[in-house]
Amino acid sequence: MTTLEKLADVLRDVFEDDDLVVTRTTSAREIAAWDSVMHVTLMISVERAFGLRFKSGNVAGLKNVGELADLVDRLKAGG
Amino acid sequence: MTRAETLLAYVAEHHPRSVRGIEEARAVDPAAWDAVAEQFLGWAEGVWGPTGWQARCIDAFMRFSNDVIMSQARYEADGHYENSSFAECNEHVYSQRDVMDDYLWGVFITNFCWSHHMELSLFFRDRFLARLPGAPAIVEIAPGHGGWGVWALSNRPDARLQGFDISPSSIAIASSIAKAAGVSERVTYTQRNALDLATMPAASADAVICSFLIEHLEDPGLLVANIANLMKPGARGYLAGALTAAQVDHIYLFKRESELVALCEAHGLRVTETLSVSPKRTLPKAKYLPRSMGLILERRDLRQV
Repeated sequence: MTTLEKLADVLRDVFEDDDLVVTRTTSAREIAAWDSVMHVTLMISVERAFGLRFKSGNVAGLKNVGELADLVDRLKAGG
Repeated sequence: MTRAETLLAYVAEHHPRSVRGIEEARAVDPAAWDAVAEQFLGWAEGVWGPTGWQARCIDAFMRFSNDVIMSQARYEADGHYENSSFAECNEHVYSQRDVMDDYLWGVFITNFCWSHHMELSLFFRDRFLARLPGAPAIVEIAPGHGGWGVWALSNRPDARLQGFDISPSSIAIASSIAKAAGVSERVTYTQRNALDLATMPAASADAVICSFLIEHLEDPGLLVANIANLMKPGARGYLAGALTAAQVDHIYLFKRESELVALCEAHGLRVTETLSVSPKRTLPKAKYLPRSMGLILERRDLRQV
């Protein structure tokens, strides 16, 4: 399973939408419930799913799922 | 386009996740929000210029807000605040100039862009500022960005203010905001630990402002004792604090509003009014309700037991 596929599962779980289509360009503009509080909820869920711990400054400016996937991959690689 | 409208457009374009929260803040009182936002952003524009304040201040607010919600999520999981000593916070936050600059501009914007802080700002304006005595000598303990004290001076042309803050970033930013607001000649800011103010002349202030310092201290009682010592008989105090509301540099965990009231009463103060407010939205399945609380204080004289 790719990082993007795993992230898609996390998003569907957090936003409680089994039909959610997730691509690299998916962002808060397409998901009405993705506000500032749910962004943090999503980040905490991603941490748990991937066994990571984000620094807050790294996730505040994420623009879309693609940037999140790249960040996850960097952290998994030890970056 | 007003500055408030510029802010809303900037957030919609660059930070769509935060639109809802700012709409909630404006909904508290749209006319008041427009006025407060215009005034605060006018000062920010005075510091950063007509095209510089958006990226500097609003982006800082977004980072700060994200930090706070992340801290709250960690607190929900752990049951305690991340740091427990001033030394840790000083190392990670207060002594880091870049971190502090961003932090302070972020907090500055929360005064009207967090709905519960908008409510608290109106409480501060209507129940504290509007009722100060004539020509008040104000002491502001830990002004941070300086916005509360500068607001007082802007509303009261007869007031003077002394501010004390441990952070050089605070002194620089508060001074720049005071200059932008045109009140520099009535304010002095001094870099000094708020807990060392016991050496100041007792009963020398007509009003004391201390917003969101108390939860950053290991011994909040010492701060309240200093506030009480500074107040003249008949003076008014404004104290704000955070309860079960995590932030990277919050170390004293207040759980109930009565704890703040009791602390003030234990140090010779009378709490005449309070307002406890919370965000419109919390983390899903949250155990703790983050609150901010404002207290209006008077000195208790000997006839009041």
